[in-house]
Amino acid sequence: MLICDEYLTPGTLAEAFAAMEQNRGRYRIVAGCTDTLPWAREGRAGDVEIPMLIDVSRIPELRELRVDESRVRLGAATPIQRFLDDAALARALPSMPRCAVWFADDQIRALATIGGNIVNASPAADATPCLIAHEAEVELAKNTGGKVVRRRMKLDAFITGPGRTQLAEGELLVAVDCDALPGYGGSFEKVGHRRSLVISLVCLAVLVKLDSQGRQFEDVRLAIAGIGPKPVRLTEVEKFLCSGPLSAERLEAAADMPVSLVASRTRQEYRREVVRGFMLRGLLNAVRRAGADRQALSGELEVAYG
Amino acid sequence: MADIHLEATINGRKIFRSAKPHQRLLDFIRDDLNLTGNKEGCGAGECGTCSVFVDGVLMKSCLLPVAKAQGAQIDTIESLAKTGELSVLQKAFHKAGASQCGYCIPGMVMAATAALRINPFADREEIKERLGGNICRCTGYQKIFDAVELARDVQNGRLPASALLETDTGEGDVIGKNVRRIDAPSKVSGRLKYAGDMTMPGMLHVQVLRSPHAHARLVSIDTSAALAMEGVEGVITSADVPGEDGFGVFVNDQPIMARGKVRYVGEAVAAVAAEDVLTAKRALAAIKVVYEQLAPVFDPDEAMRVGSPVVHDYAPDNVTKHIPIRVGDVEKGFAQSDLVVEETYSTQAIEHAYLEPEAGLAYVDHDGVVVIVSPDQNITHHRHMLARIIAKPISKVRFIMSPVGGGFGGKEDMIYQGMLALLAMKTQRPVRLVFTREESIISTAKRHPSRTLLRMGLMRDGRIRALEMKMICDGGAYGMSTEGVMRKAAILAAGPYVIPNVKVDTYGIYTNNTPSGAFRSFGALQTAFATESHLDICAERLGLDPFEIRRINAMRDGATTHTKAKLGSVSLMRALDAAEKASGWEAGSPTSRGATRSDLNRGDSRPACALGARFAAPGTQEAAE
Ligand SMILES: Cc1cc2nc3c(=O)[nH]c(=O)nc-3n(C[C@H](O)[C@H](O)[C@H](O)COP(=O)(O)OP(=O)(O)OC[C@H]3O[C@@H](n4cnc5c(N)ncnc54)[C@H](O)[C@@H]3O)c2cc1C
Ligand code: FES
Ligand code: FES
Repeated sequence: MLICDEYLTPGTLAEAFAAMEQNRGRYRIVAGCTDTLPWAREGRAGDVEIPMLIDVSRIPELRELRVDESRVRLGAATPIQRFLDDAALARALPSMPRCAVWFADDQIRALATIGGNIVNASPAADATPCLIAHEAEVELAKNTGGKVVRRRMKLDAFITGPGRTQLAEGELLVAVDCDALPGYGGSFEKVGHRRSLVISLVCLAVLVKLDSQGRQFEDVRLAIAGIGPKPVRLTEVEKFLCSGPLSAERLEAAADMPVSLVASRTRQEYRREVVRGFMLRGLLNAVRRAGADRQALSGELEVAYG
Repeated sequence: MADIHLEATINGRKIFRSAKPHQRLLDFIRDDLNLTGNKEGCGAGECGTCSVFVDGVLMKSCLLPVAKAQGAQIDTIESLAKTGELSVLQKAFHKAGASQCGYCIPGMVMAATAALRINPFADREEIKERLGGNICRCTGYQKIFDAVELARDVQNGRLPASALLETDTGEGDVIGKNVRRIDAPSKVSGRLKYAGDMTMPGMLHVQVLRSPHAHARLVSIDTSAALAMEGVEGVITSADVPGEDGFGVFVNDQPIMARGKVRYVGEAVAAVAAEDVLTAKRALAAIKVVYEQLAPVFDPDEAMRVGSPVVHDYAPDNVTKHIPIRVGDVEKGFAQSDLVVEETYSTQAIEHAYLEPEAGLAYVDHDGVVVIVSPDQNITHHRHMLARIIAKPISKVRFIMSPVGGGFGGKEDMIYQGMLALLAMKTQRPVRLVFTREESIISTAKRHPSRTLLRMGLMRDGRIRALEMKMICDGGAYGMSTEGVMRKAAILAAGPYVIPNVKVDTYGIYTNNTPSGAFRSFGALQTAFATESHLDICAERLGLDPFEIRRINAMRDGATTHTKAKLGSVSLMRALDAAEKASGWEAGSPTSRGATRSDLNRGDSRPACALGARFAAPGTQEAAE
């Protein structure tokens, strides 16, 4: 049970910083609360008493969404469900809707925020690999001596390990900026125990751009989570894929490459097997959606992994 | 504490109320507004019993601090049938028989309502996906999906409204016909009150202090600080039991609260009744218990060894129950056999996970009768036991069975009703205890974990000559239904097969694990798993078809089982035929099949689990791709 004496819902960033300033050491930030409330239960943190909860989900700047040709700006309090409901977002972030559909369930997605997913920094967080594949940068803000100071850094540098980030005391995650990749084929693969409400054992985001004939990779972005303490880009595999024409053999060879990366604490062997099948399915789905030339792929591969 | 001044619209009515900052929307609608149609199945976002609309968007109200409802329009299950007339979806749930215990159903109806609002033409796959956040443990999902499809078709005019009406079954013609569930309207509307939904004026809230140790002596319990707290009306320990303590299904080995020592993690040690749950929780933290750790035993094989820690003094060998069965002479049977196969099988503990966590309400009525209302699967037996425990004549003890939100055997043990009775007597006020999901999992019985050594002797033609089985079950810290489970397991050990020589031993063993108890099939699962798996292995070794080896040994009408039950009719052969046909079975021994099997991946077999049906719907991204 999460017990608080006060629940504040500031309407502006300034109000939030003022409350944080006045209540130093006795507050906790929340947004969708979907990580925080289940955390304060028996078997995890148990009953937790925190004098003040500061809910940042109604601050307009944290709800802002901007999409242009090259960049996307996502306010930290953007609910995951927006990636399914907003067509412009879905076009600019092609793997995000696929990720969102596997994320918790329809109801939790309406609450769960992108910022909460990032700051919670679970090794199984689903949105993070997609964002890393989009070269995401986080924008952080802090009130220092009455002035709001902002800083930016790469998302994969911001997350330092399981449950750990570079977020400083008194700092808020304001927004995430990332590459808009319209025209890319996107896919997201996830393995868990059931269809909904499932925490990923392994998850993979794939973004692919092909030439106009659909026979040659022009750009590939791959990020995987769940195989180690934090999500990683598979840059070697990306390079390999771009180094020659699209073919079933190339996809298969690429799928074998990250298997050796598996370094999770549990079920390593299982995860290794999963990763290969996963890579193939993710790549296949992404290249198809990117307009792959059908002849470049073997039917056998499609039957097995499509 | 800074109360929240909440202005919101609830089910179309404006409210201005103050709420506590730590309340969740679920607490506010259930406790403050008494809208108990939506339930709390888990409190952690996992089950969907709490689903409500917030500004038209379905959300899990157990994950919503009440402050998030500020200025919002909230619609609960009660909003759907406000005038008493059920909505089309609710009628469809009734018609399709999509409700059993009913505990999940209000949430299901809400999720289905949301799904059809978002896409009135959703196909079955999309319906499944959109209901993915809601769990049902008893109806099974097919009838629920049938109901949503039926409602969709009626709403879209593809079916007439009369499709929702009763189709009468002919007189006296019940078997094989669909019968309307008379209790369904109360469940689909959320009007049915489960124990956790009930309140009484002046009611106190109970919380239970549980043992963090698996095996420890209780040196002392000091409740004075807790009792001195404002708002605390009563604290009890085993010292407050006035009569002869001890309950159980077969042996009365379990005290109302730990007496002298604790035997498993989660065992009740003390209980508090206070004006609200938070005060009761804080009082628990003020109870001082001194434990002296004892060596625990967690493995039943180890518990059977001489010198192992003893869980109950009355059973120095830790054996709760041993059931031996002897027919013929197995050693002779093995000697006559062409093949003897020996394997070990094990099964694990399983939680029932009924969607309704345990809950109960107790009070002492105007005649001094102690009344306990709870989803109790065995009230008559419990009434007799409790009368002895609280030293009252049976006429002064009354058990009322509230609707059971799923039990599956897990609500057969009187594990909390005694504490409620004592607190009602002590405070002379109504008291209510509602378990959290975690509490339910940690403290209630599980399916018996088992380890089975099975030896079978067979002739080359597949006839079984001898079966020897030794099954050791972890009964956990208390007896509960262990004896019955061991009996049933032994009775069903040899399966429905003719076997001339049988030797079966089933053992239920005390350990310091969570107690094992009744669970659907009651011992049959453990032995059938061993025997049936074994038959497949033997079929492979003998080059026989798995169906064939069963037919060769099947009991026929008039057979006598190894426990001397005479069977008038045996339907095994019919069952085998039906299963073989339905599965599209490819005949032959497992070893004689080729690399690919014709009975897998048929057109009608289940496709792999996928998501994304909504992308295929017209007008969405996939269609545009
Ligand atoms: C049943 C269930 C299923 C789930 N399924 C999935 C799933 O499939 N995939 C998945 O990835 N996750 C899943 N989750 C986890 C959770 O929903 C997500 O991690 C979600 O994105 C968290 O966001 P939130 O806003 O609800 O977090 P909150 O609980 O509000 O916050 C989480 C943490 O982030 C901090 N925080 C939030 N916003 C900010 C900010 N702007 N600045 C600084 N700190 C901030 C908070 O202080 C807190 O420490 C599931 C959760 C539940 C209960
Ligand atoms: S999801 Fe809210 S009670 Fe289970
Ligand atoms: S009817 Fe669904 S849980 Fe019982």
